Amino acid sequence: MTGRRVAVVGAGMTRFVRRAQETGKELAFQASKAALDAAELRLADVDAVCLTSAPDAFDGVHRKGDYLADGAGAWGKPFIRTYVGGGSGVFTAIQGWYTVASGQADVVLCVAEEKMSSCQPHPQGAFLTIFDNIIERPLGPNLLWIFALEMQRYMDRYGLDKRDIASVAVKNKRNAAGHPAALLGQADITVEDVLASEVLAWPVQRLDVSPISDGAVALVLASEDAARRLTDRPVWVQGVGWNLDSTYWTNRDLVYPEYVENAARMAYAMAGVTEPRKQIHVAEPYDPFDYKELHHLEGLLLFDKGKAPEAAAAGVTARDGDLPCCPSGGLLGVGNPIAAAGLMKIAELFWQLRGEAGERQVPGTPERGVAQAWGDLMQVGTVVVMGTEDARTDAAGATADQPATMLGPTPLSDAAFRAAAGAVETDLDVRYAWDPGEVMGAFLDALREGRILATICTACGRTLVPPRAFCERCFRPTDGWTEVAATGTVETFSICHVTWDMRPLEVPELPAVIRLEGSSDGGFLHKLGDVEPSAIRIGMPVEAVWRPIAERTGSILDIAHFRPRETA
Amino acid sequence: MGPRIGIVGVGWSGFRPTTAGRSYKELMFEAATAAYVDAGVDPRTDVDSFVCASEDVEEGTSIFDEYVPDQLGGVQRPVHTVAADGLFALATAAMLLRSGIANVVAVEAHSKASDVLTPGRVDAFAMDPVLNRPLGVPALALAGLEMRRFLHETGRSVEDCAAVAVRNREHARSNRRASYADAPPDPTPLFDPLIADQAARSADGCIVVVLAGAQTRADASVWVDGVGWSQDAPSIESRDWARAVATERAAEGAYAQADLAQADVDLAEVDDAFAYKQLQHLDALGLASIDPGRVNRSGGALGEGHLHEANGLARTLGAVEQLRAGAARTAVVQSWRGVPSTSAAVAVLRAAG
Repeated sequence: MTGRRVAVVGAGMTRFVRRAQETGKELAFQASKAALDAAELRLADVDAVCLTSAPDAFDGVHRKGDYLADGAGAWGKPFIRTYVGGGSGVFTAIQGWYTVASGQADVVLCVAEEKMSSCQPHPQGAFLTIFDNIIERPLGPNLLWIFALEMQRYMDRYGLDKRDIASVAVKNKRNAAGHPAALLGQADITVEDVLASEVLAWPVQRLDVSPISDGAVALVLASEDAARRLTDRPVWVQGVGWNLDSTYWTNRDLVYPEYVENAARMAYAMAGVTEPRKQIHVAEPYDPFDYKELHHLEGLLLFDKGKAPEAAAAGVTARDGDLPCCPSGGLLGVGNPIAAAGLMKIAELFWQLRGEAGERQVPGTPERGVAQAWGDLMQVGTVVVMGTEDARTDAAGATADQPATMLGPTPLSDAAFRAAAGAVETDLDVRYAWDPGEVMGAFLDALREGRILATICTACGRTLVPPRAFCERCFRPTDGWTEVAATGTVETFSICHVTWDMRPLEVPELPAVIRLEGSSDGGFLHKLGDVEPSAIRIGMPVEAVWRPIAERTGSILDIAHFRPRETA
Repeated sequence: MGPRIGIVGVGWSGFRPTTAGRSYKELMFEAATAAYVDAGVDPRTDVDSFVCASEDVEEGTSIFDEYVPDQLGGVQRPVHTVAADGLFALATAAMLLRSGIANVVAVEAHSKASDVLTPGRVDAFAMDPVLNRPLGVPALALAGLEMRRFLHETGRSVEDCAAVAVRNREHARSNRRASYADAPPDPTPLFDPLIADQAARSADGCIVVVLAGAQTRADASVWVDGVGWSQDAPSIESRDWARAVATERAAEGAYAQADLAQADVDLAEVDDAFAYKQLQHLDALGLASIDPGRVNRSGGALGEGHLHEANGLARTLGAVEQLRAGAARTAVVQSWRGVPSTSAAVAVLRAAG
């Protein structure tokens, strides 16, 4: 079905650090040089460069792909930056695949860079603007909210034990203790440590979360002819898949990542994988939070829905378990420079399948692995299946140490950074006035009148809140308006104890997804009030508390909050 | 190189200085619907992959690709975004089709520039944060610097550039999408020798193009026989200030793929964000001697308006319309991302039949 065969022939990465002295360009250079050295290539041998990086706001540069180009070896070469949020790192390997498979290039350098530390006062600031500009940003959401909302929903549906989920953080941080690039490897961490760590946004605790980091990773991909010329141990890209779900995340059931399953099925079909639980020998699922690894293992069809946590707790996913998962140490252990962390997973499969992972090497001779990343508004899945296909010709390679493919960077303490001459500060200071459009404009007008409007699609029979001009499932204009009740139930909630820049809150915030009565697929993000946090339950009936008419402005904030509702 | 790639549908919306009362989502839905009708495809079942072109800071949203699938019919489908001009998205579609992983691909780019109240700040944020930003030199100044060096080395005059602006606006008079065909001359100096009259003014709009491999759709009206893309040094200290080097390299790749002889080119739609850029780009494309009446018959960005990352697809749309109408056989389309970028892309289009 698909074009030329494509192999990975070299990989390199920087250490992942909290703050690198190097610029983003220099990080990209270090990783690129390491990958080229590993493949014994010069830049002149590279036909095209594929680059990825997550939000521009981290590096503090608009069009940062163009800015990073020379560091990534792209000066004068065909060069494109792609992005799909947190899914970007794995995606850039997919980009490399189609660049080679199409015949556009024979040898491609794939580079993933992230320098989060430039974003002040806290890199989370880059995520304040991922939310819907009309109906979510006015609520002041921070990134932890959506993870907490999703984790809560996942735990509630399956009655999960948080100890089982915490076992993933323990496994990955222990695995990372053997990784020379890791930021948070810790051989002696326990489940008790995770459960005792600071509560950020319940149920998310500090050690459930991967660290913000600086770093870069690069791979060299080659066509079959070029790969066989360059190495006797190519690792083939056997399957690729990617899938983006609806923007309207409050209309989806967060309990299961359908988009990851869709991406996995696409990649498995291309790879000829019909029984993933038998045919996948090692997995690098995306683990920015511990529960996400489990969520994704289910989406990858490697465990039944709701069953990954007990398997993890039982050691099935340990490095010496039946299905080693994140033997690298993952984002939780190695670190999470977002795009780079995704590509690190592909690099790890390359090393594992070549038997070059050193202390991290999984037992046996794994012949096929899967790497996966995820991102956007809990919305995108990117999946790559890689394999050796034929048994390794160099059996001794199975015990070989990881080659010297790592350069820099130089870690820099916050105090040293601030004391150094030449730190350049810029305030983005761009102002916008977003046009809500016809439909959202009418929705906001109605809020001022104390009414919640929905659009309807007569083709699929759905009533849509937030309303839109089009039905995304039927791809046709919606058919008109209806009003839904200002009452509903709590779909999921969190108790958030920190601000976006990690300062403690005296009074916790209570974000929730409200499932409105009369809406087909849920409703929208808002906050709870007039309630003790300990009394909140999923499924609890709630009602909107409207601001006084004189204070309404045609905004989502015309609803002050939702509060518990007495039911008969 | 896999199957021959055809354009089977185009659609657009907006193309006005402002599109008040309509959101970017609504502009995208309108353009996509028109393109799918033109192509005779249902995006929910017939389109295998979707590629968008956008940049976060221009949208005011981090990780903007979050906000594209619903209004394109791409929910739970393979969708990704390139941080580049729309012509790079079209190049990406060509790779997806040639790789065999998709048989039909939709490409989208838009501008909702009227949402941005401080566009100069957006461009300033694209300057090198350590070396350039502290100088406080606006990105637009780079156009003045480059224009002077270009005129100096090529012997072109400011009047030659003025003639480009006049001619493109004349062409724009027969284009219903053009907002600036009758714009009064504006001699306001920007960065000497550049004046406002020779700088394209902003517009909102969206373009969607549907592409397919010949094995799937033999009925394409236009073939994309070559695509190329490249860039010069990102640092302003290292780039060539007279030549459009990236366009030269991109053309080399696209022409080789298309086995193109420049003498066969009878239509060019090229970037004219500034009037001198049109001349510089034609030089780089090896089309310096083409009849000026065959260049930017759409009116270009000077006539239609500057659609930011959608400029390349606006030029593509103009060329497709001319090729479909039988007004040309072979067209070269070129885009450049604007200051301070050097990234450029080139496509060779041929009429079917």
